Amino acid sequence: MSSFPHLLQAILTIQLDFSLCKVSIVIAKYLALYTIIYVVEKLLVLLRDGRKLLGILRSFDQFANAVLEGACERVIVGDLYCDIPLGLYVIRGENVVLIGELDLEREELPPHMTRVSAVEIKRAQKAEQDATDLKGSMRKRMEFLDLD
Amino acid sequence: MLFFSYFKDLVGREVTVELKNDLAIRGTLHSVDQYLNIKLENSRVVDQDKYPHMTGEQDAGNDLGLRLSVRNCFIRGSVVRYVQLPPEGVDTELLHDATRREARGG
Repeated sequence: MSSFPHLLQAILTIQLDFSLCKVSIVIAKYLALYTIIYVVEKLLVLLRDGRKLLGILRSFDQFANAVLEGACERVIVGDLYCDIPLGLYVIRGENVVLIGELDLEREELPPHMTRVSAVEIKRAQKAEQDATDLKGSMRKRMEFLDLD
Repeated sequence: MLFFSYFKDLVGREVTVELKNDLAIRGTLHSVDQYLNIKLENSRVVDQDKYPHMTGEQDAGNDLGLRLSVRNCFIRGSVVRYVQLPPEGVDTELLHDATRREARGG
């Protein structure tokens, strides 16, 4: 038997589906403390490799393992961004840096950013990667000059 | 356990959490747990130009930078490098005593 149910006991889950936002209310018993978790429509999870996942939090535990429903990855290159749909994701807690509640009233991104297609963002990502690679190789070649 | 109780006393104060990925987030400490996972309220990224994914629209009258579209966030304790505390939140005498007590095993 796993010790999980002893530490975290989901006692009650109420799910309300409004036309615009899905809100679930989970009353969980966590280390004898009752916590009420509101699972709001959108959540931003920042991973250790710098990736940003957005989705609806469906479950979590004491290690910050989390289940995201309707997850998508937000790729940002300069002023361009793209949400690549991924589906249902289980995230291992050790890879989580930050979990943020997205404010539905506010814009998620600064107004100057434009949404592009997945193909375009891949191209932009590659261009950026090539630019940094080039910068790195130039630096290596100039090392004898003793920069810095 | 010392730092857990110490951080518990800091709840409600404004802190800056510096992460191992060089992201620095400032906000009101909402809660902390045994792993020193941190929940911040009214958070904002200190160097917001580099991290557009967390910044929303410009917040007028806030010279500390843009306010996040992420207002409340959970930070996993293992990725925290530093927590910058308000000076009035540090009682060095009390910390000295508590550390001595901890070292004695009581």
